[in-house]
Order: sequence, then C-alpha cells, then structure tokens
Amino acid sequence: MTLKAIMLGAAAGITVFATTNVVADTSDKRIALSNNYAGNSWRQAMLESWQKVGEAAVADGKVASADAFTTSENQATEQAAQIQNMILQGYDAIVINAASPTAINGAVKAACDAGITVVSFDGIVQEPCAWRIAVDFQQMGREQVKYLAERYPEGGNLLEIRGLAGVFVDDEISAGIHDEVKNSNFEIVGSVHGDWAQDVAQKAVAGILPSLPEIVGVVTQGGDGYGAAQAIGATDRAMPTIVMGNRQDELQWWSDEKAANGYETTSLSIAPGVSTLAFWVAQQVLDGNEVPKDLTVPFLAISQDELEDALKTTPKGSVANVEYSLEDAKAVIASSK
Amino acid sequence: MTNNASEPMTAATPVRALLSKPWIWAFLAAAITFGATSLIAGSGAGSLFYAALTFASFSAIVGIGQMLVITLGPGNVDLSIPASMTLAATLALKFMDSETAMILPGLLVAIGVGIGCGVINFGLILLLRIPPIIATLSASFLYQSLAIWSNRGLRIKPPEPLAEFATGGALGIPNIAVVGILLAILAWVVLERAIAGRWISAIGQNLRAARLSGVPVNAVRFGVYVNSAVCAALAGFLLASFSGGANLNMGTEYMLMSIAVVVIGGSSIGGGNSNVPGIWGAALFMFLIVSMLNSYGLGAGIRLILTGVVIVGVVALASRKGYDV
Repeated sequence: MTLKAIMLGAAAGITVFATTNVVADTSDKRIALSNNYAGNSWRQAMLESWQKVGEAAVADGKVASADAFTTSENQATEQAAQIQNMILQGYDAIVINAASPTAINGAVKAACDAGITVVSFDGIVQEPCAWRIAVDFQQMGREQVKYLAERYPEGGNLLEIRGLAGVFVDDEISAGIHDEVKNSNFEIVGSVHGDWAQDVAQKAVAGILPSLPEIVGVVTQGGDGYGAAQAIGATDRAMPTIVMGNRQDELQWWSDEKAANGYETTSLSIAPGVSTLAFWVAQQVLDGNEVPKDLTVPFLAISQDELEDALKTTPKGSVANVEYSLEDAKAVIASSK
Repeated sequence: MTNNASEPMTAATPVRALLSKPWIWAFLAAAITFGATSLIAGSGAGSLFYAALTFASFSAIVGIGQMLVITLGPGNVDLSIPASMTLAATLALKFMDSETAMILPGLLVAIGVGIGCGVINFGLILLLRIPPIIATLSASFLYQSLAIWSNRGLRIKPPEPLAEFATGGALGIPNIAVVGILLAILAWVVLERAIAGRWISAIGQNLRAARLSGVPVNAVRFGVYVNSAVCAALAGFLLASFSGGANLNMGTEYMLMSIAVVVIGGSSIGGGNSNVPGIWGAALFMFLIVSMLNSYGLGAGIRLILTGVVIVGVVALASRKGYDV
C-alpha cells in the first residue's frame, strides 16, 4: 500500500514538474556532500571530482548548487551534527560518505523524514530510507587472486597486505582473497597490515620478508603496492607480481619496470570519482526517476595494455580517476534494476 | 648494539650496574624479539636487523624530541608531531620539486617549518595559557590543514640523490640510522653534560624550585618545544625521502610511537628523568615485535593484545628498576 502511494505520489510529482518545467526538473534543487574524511590523496581526488562535476552541473542548470562539506575529525557524532545542519539549511538531497554504517542512522532518518533524498556511497549507511552505492569489496579480493591464478596456474606462495585492522573494508577484501585462494593452488604464507598507506606497508613488508619463503605474488588492498615494491626491491629477492591499486606512484613504478624488464601485473581500485556517480544518482532520484536502493560501484581496472594511457591521465602523485556522467549513472541504475 | 655505551659503570659489579639502568630492559626486549624472529628468518636475520635499524630511526628521531618535552614534567607532551612531520615533508618536497640542486634548501625549509610549528606550539602554551596537550593538538589541525591545502595530497618524488641517501647504507648500517644515532648522541651530551640538560631535568623535577633557583624556565621550555617540532620535521623529511614522497597520513602512527618509545625506553612519564639510549632500544623493539608476530602468522587481534602485554611488561620492569636507582 505505502509503496503504491509513494509511486503514485512520485508519478503525480513528475506530471506536475513535467508540465511546469520543461528544461530540467532539478534546476532549482540543491545537493550537498557530507564527507567524513579528507586526509589522503584518494579523498582529495574524490572532492575535486565532486567540485568539477558539481560546478559543471550548476553551470548547465542541471542543479542549483552542489556544495561539499568535510568533517575535521572523522567522527560519526560530528557528521551527524553536520547532517542536522544540512537539514536546517534546506538541501533537497544529501550525498554521504559516512564515518560509520550505523552511527549516523538517526541523522539520516531525520533527513529522510524532512523529505530529503539521502544517497550514501563508499562509506554507506544502513538506514533503509537512504540509497546505497556500495563497493563489492569481496569481489575486489577475488579478482586479484583470479588474475594471479591465470598468471601462475601451477600456484605458489602469496604475501597478503591487509588494510587497517578492525575495519569492515579490510575484513571484506581479505575474506574475498582467502575465499578465492581456496579455489586455486596458491598458499598465503604471510599477512601484514599496511593500513592502506605506502610507508606503513613498506615497513611491515620489510619486517616479514626475511622469514618468508619465495613468493610469486602479492595481493593488496590499494595504496600499498608501491611500498611493497620498495621493500622487496631493497632485498635480493626476485620481484613477485604485485597487484596494484591505481595510485600514480604504483603505475609509474609498474611502467618503469615494464620498460626495463617487461614486468606484468594488473591494477584495480575504486575511482574517487564515485562521488560524481552518487551525485548523478541523487539528481536522478530528485528528478523523480525510479532508482533501486542498492547499487554497486563499478571497479576501475587497468590492464597491461592500458597502463600508459592511464598513467598519462593520472596527475602526478594522485590516483587514477574517472568522473561519471549522467549517462554512466543511468547505466549503473539500469543494470541494478 | 646501537647504544652509545658511554654511561659510567661501577667496575666491581658491571652486571648489576647494567641491570640497574632503566634502558637495559628495552634492549633486552629488542634482543629477545630479534632472536625469536631469527628462528624463522634463519639466514634472513641480517636483513631483518638492517630493516629494524632503518625503521627504528624514524621512531627514535621523533622519540628524542618527545622525550625532552615529557621530561619537562606532568602535562607536557607534544601531540602535534604527526602533523608537523606531514607539513614539513609536504612543503619541503614540494619546494624541492625533485630537483637535485634544491636538496639543501629543501632541508632548510623542513627545519624552518619545524621551528615555525614549535614557535606556534609554545606561543599557544605561554601566551594563551592553553595546556600543552590541547595547544599542540589544536595546532596540529592547523598544520594538517595547511599540508592538505598546500598540495592536495599529491605525492612529489624526492630528488634522486636524496632518495638514494635515505634508502642506502654503508658497512651494514643504513644512512638513516647514522643520522638517528648521531642525534641520540647529541641529545645525550646536551642532557648529561650541558647546563641546558640539567635545566630541563630540574624543571621536570620541580618547576617552582627550578624557577626560584634561577633557571630560565620559559626559555628552556621554548627550546624544548621547538626542538621537538624540529625533530618531527626532520623525521618527516627523511621518511618522505625514504618512501618516495610525502603522504597526508604519513605521520599518523608516530603520535603513539613517539610516546611509546619514551616510556618503554625507561624515561619517567612524570618527567624529570630522561633516558636517551632507551629511545633506541625501544624503537628497535617496537619494530621487531610487529615483525615477530607477523612472522609467526598471528592474527591482528592476537598481535595487538600481545604487543600491549609486552609493552606493559617492559614498562613495569623498566620503571621498577628506575626507582631502585
């Protein structure tokens, strides 16, 4: 009954809009980004993409404004307060990269109750009234092992670099890796936490390397591949196949090695531009389109042949990125229906 | 190992004299973890030792700065170390822009940033009368934001010769470790042989008594806070040169690390008593314990629990011995 009522309401809304505003139904809508953290290059690229696409959308008259706000402390309470402020400021949609999947549910519910469209991405929220653009982290782990299995059908030893201990994302990627390793001839002989940071990974790998047998591959979580390469390069070991995570320094290192000795690997991660996908999804919801509540973020994978092109378009020291267009968003929505 | 071994010892009972040093426990712990890891590493023990010296250097350099601050007495701690590291490294690497000719000016930029951070920290403490914990923590937001604003998190590679120096070594000793050991010796000389060191300890033991006996309290505190920020800046500069660029979150783990090496090293957390050799023992131990638990393949949960238990144990032993003296 309620769903039907909502649909009828939406249909009525569309009709009203369609008759009163023929150019764009969302030109007077204001969208805000609530971001919990800005302290790494991925998040910085994410904010830049948002700004770029948001400004273009405002200039084109697609939306009235697209403002970005970041909390300073990466705290759920602070983000909840920020969302409350956005409700008071009368935004029509709030796009969230959340500090916690549960702790800001109250604020999200309050926003929904105030008639605001809430779209969460990357760090998603569990509150059912919000849309979720989630990353399939387990799949991210599986893809890496699948690639290595193609390269080394006979198997071998793997080193696993994990993220930050106790964080959901780390558990998920690792679960995917271990799950897929069971279907292969590989054995994970060592596992360290690199905290998704290059220097931490370098330190952890340097510490465990002396006690490891020969390894053929390194599975990673992103942001740690270059550190692993540095640590292994400092020893007299043969360089294993390190799966990269789209960072420019990783791609640069890969490209140098490729030129020097034909080094082969793959690289995959989530493009920071996923914020722009969330932006267009919010715009589509405001536009009155039917959008499934759960969407999946596509991976940005870079293969051996695509390396040079990807490296050219990635700013020095940043991370490979794509900005999503309205059409991309529509395609993602259509594929989830 | 790497301590400078210049502590005077009683000739009659050298072993007892050695055991009465609070810093010996950090070195013992480091040696035991090294031995345990070597059981697995086998012939890799040499490279493990080399890696330990390398990574312990960064902790030791920030630890020396933090130790002098903590020596000033209760409530004195520098929580802006991670942000100072990040800011100094970010600005210096951006300034050098991978140019070899700019290495020395780049180092000066890093040290200048360190001095600036130290002056701001102490300015907040002295002029606005903000407690050091809050002053340094709030100032660190400023530094971190400046670092984000100045370069948006982009990693700029260090100049080639600088990267080679930072990752290289001679005679089985990493260059970085040489820098760290020289700084430790310098800190030891200042603390044990110079009047400034006596002043620092005097302030930590009794601020009022120190002031009444004519110690220039604020000048000494100023110097100590600036020194801490400069050590952090130098560590940030070296770390960025070592790992191929500055990262916005590169300093994060050095917040707790800087305090941990001070406490495990046998310095009194209440101030007034500092211990330079212990910094190096503790820094080696902090790297080796993680390597050991990783090598034995223990999960992150057990790893963290064991790290905590061992740290508590070493601190308990070190402080018990400390009171005996």
